[in-house]
Amino acid sequence: MAGDVTTDPVTLEEAPPPEETSEAAAMAARLAEAGRVKRLNDRTRMIIAYVVLTLFVVIAIGPAFYLISPAFRDSVSLFTYPPEWIPSEPTLENYRFLFSSTSYVRWAINTLVFAGATTLLTLVTNTMAGYAFARLRFPGRNLLFFVILATLMVPVAAVLAPTYLTVTTIGDWPIIGNWIDTDTYLGLILPSAVSPLGVFMMRQFIQTLPDGLYEAARLDGAGEWRIFTKIVLPLIKPALVVLGIFVFMLTWASYLWPLVAATDNEFRVLTVGIASLKGQFVTDWGILAAASLLTIVPVTIVFLFFQKWFVQASMAGALKQ
Amino acid sequence: MAEVILRQLTKHFGSVEAVEDVTLRIPDGEFLVLLGPSGCGKSTILRLIAGLEDATRGEILIDGELINFKDPTKRNVAMVFQNYALYPHMTVYKNVAFPLETARMAREEVAEAVQRAAEMLEIEALLKRLPEQLSGGQRQRVALARAIVRQPLVFLMDEPLSNLDAQLRLQTRLELMGLHERLGITTIYVTHDQVEAMTMGQRIAVMQDGRIQQMGDPTEVYDAPANTFVATFLGAPPMNLVSGSLERDNGQVSFRFEGYELAVDPATSGIAPDTLDEAVGEAQLGVRPEHLTLASPDAEGLPGVVRFLEPVGSDLFVSVNVAGHAVQVRMPPDTQVSTGSNVRLAFDPARSHIFGADSQNLRS
Repeated sequence: MAGDVTTDPVTLEEAPPPEETSEAAAMAARLAEAGRVKRLNDRTRMIIAYVVLTLFVVIAIGPAFYLISPAFRDSVSLFTYPPEWIPSEPTLENYRFLFSSTSYVRWAINTLVFAGATTLLTLVTNTMAGYAFARLRFPGRNLLFFVILATLMVPVAAVLAPTYLTVTTIGDWPIIGNWIDTDTYLGLILPSAVSPLGVFMMRQFIQTLPDGLYEAARLDGAGEWRIFTKIVLPLIKPALVVLGIFVFMLTWASYLWPLVAATDNEFRVLTVGIASLKGQFVTDWGILAAASLLTIVPVTIVFLFFQKWFVQASMAGALKQ
Repeated sequence: MAEVILRQLTKHFGSVEAVEDVTLRIPDGEFLVLLGPSGCGKSTILRLIAGLEDATRGEILIDGELINFKDPTKRNVAMVFQNYALYPHMTVYKNVAFPLETARMAREEVAEAVQRAAEMLEIEALLKRLPEQLSGGQRQRVALARAIVRQPLVFLMDEPLSNLDAQLRLQTRLELMGLHERLGITTIYVTHDQVEAMTMGQRIAVMQDGRIQQMGDPTEVYDAPANTFVATFLGAPPMNLVSGSLERDNGQVSFRFEGYELAVDPATSGIAPDTLDEAVGEAQLGVRPEHLTLASPDAEGLPGVVRFLEPVGSDLFVSVNVAGHAVQVRMPPDTQVSTGSNVRLAFDPARSHIFGADSQNLRS
């Protein structure tokens, strides 16, 4: 053993014998050959991946693109044969009609209020609940959290009737009934202003913050509220943005609850409003397409604008101390 | 500034006894080191004093006031954490100012206090940076600044140097001592590093399994270890221990092991004759490496064979095989000795220790 140890460095210092060089060269050539074969394989694989991905892209955004053409044509030219994809006589007539003869603007404002307020309230309730579940010790904590998670399994349609009854019942109460009822903003917003998924997400996120931060803050004299606002909230900003966008987009596109809660045209949101444009016997598809396109664009912009935050949030678990 | 008293402090986590019956009095302005291996309960004691854990039993008093049930926010103790626990989203200034702003101090006063703390720790140039832009040593200073800025009654330090590299640790150690000298705040310092404990502590409490094994000033703990745990935990390399037995023959007690016999004289060993009589039976002999000397094979002493030599520059550590036991000897670096040579080991009985069957030092 000792002999091996001492002779090793000596062989290292010697020049490598010539046969070894040629052997090494042969090996390098073989490796390069193998690499080329592998690169070809990679290329084929890449092509397959692109084909599959393209297919998915078409399926995913195809319908949205399909809206663009009819949105700029009059309804008569929609059904010409052979079908034309690029309108020969593009028109903004559909939009003129939307703004002049329907309550589109009103619906848009309602949707903005509905989605905006729901998002804000959800963020407030969910971060606070998430903080409580992550940090505070109280009896029944785990049971309560489990119950909240369990509501994730309940479909929206199943709670539609009870929610509706609750809101109409509150609507019959004096004073408060003026504010919370069907066909009121609060009646529309409040039932959507908490999301079990959001509570779960916030709890998980807050749990990843190091305990040392809370302990340091407590010793620095900070109470729960100050820790929540000064330490926790700034550190979970990425999660707040993600949850915010998520809730905003869901609420913007939600249909069932607004359909039930807002029967008055004054309180209708875009999804319900657009659906009402569909006539019983005749439907102007051009107008429907224009309205839909106009509704999709703002959320798409919001999403694209905040996209980088999604990436950041996915790395937020690696929060540095 | 304050005096801290712990009375029969006990903390159980389920069936785990983290801290068991700890009683301590830390006078105002003292720098006390809690020393022990990881999991010995030393950090738990700090957390109990800070209020981050609730005691199972016992009392904690600061300046005579029972604080067991006082909220940690109101105890006015500052803690420096092992990983510093700086607020990552706040600048250094904001980090240091946080406790003062929490106490709703006026803005100018906050600025003044932060400035003073920053000067003391030489971090004025870093005030606008975020923690992630700082080196380990700088973060350490910021954590210290945040702790001293509000002039707490007690400083609690939980292994604050363990994340620093060796050189920086040495430097920060001296600075911490200087800081303590200047501020005079009662400090409880937790470490598993015996060198830190010996150099920094005015007193050391050596802990094992949630209990204090020995308490005293560093030299006392080093020179007169209460038991084999303390004897081997302090000192690098640790005290040499050999197992054998104390036997009584014609009124003379001697320590026997592996066929060798060493007379134990109450006068030179410092052990009371009664204690010696009672301890007859299983025992261990302990001698520190620096109290052993190598002698030529024909001299008096225990015969042994040199196994390894470890020159460390200032000293030469010689590992000698004595009847199957590896015994460490510290010698001057210029000692002429080679591996495989026969030697004799000599030592002054007054500097040796005999530990009874219960591992306790018979001398104490």
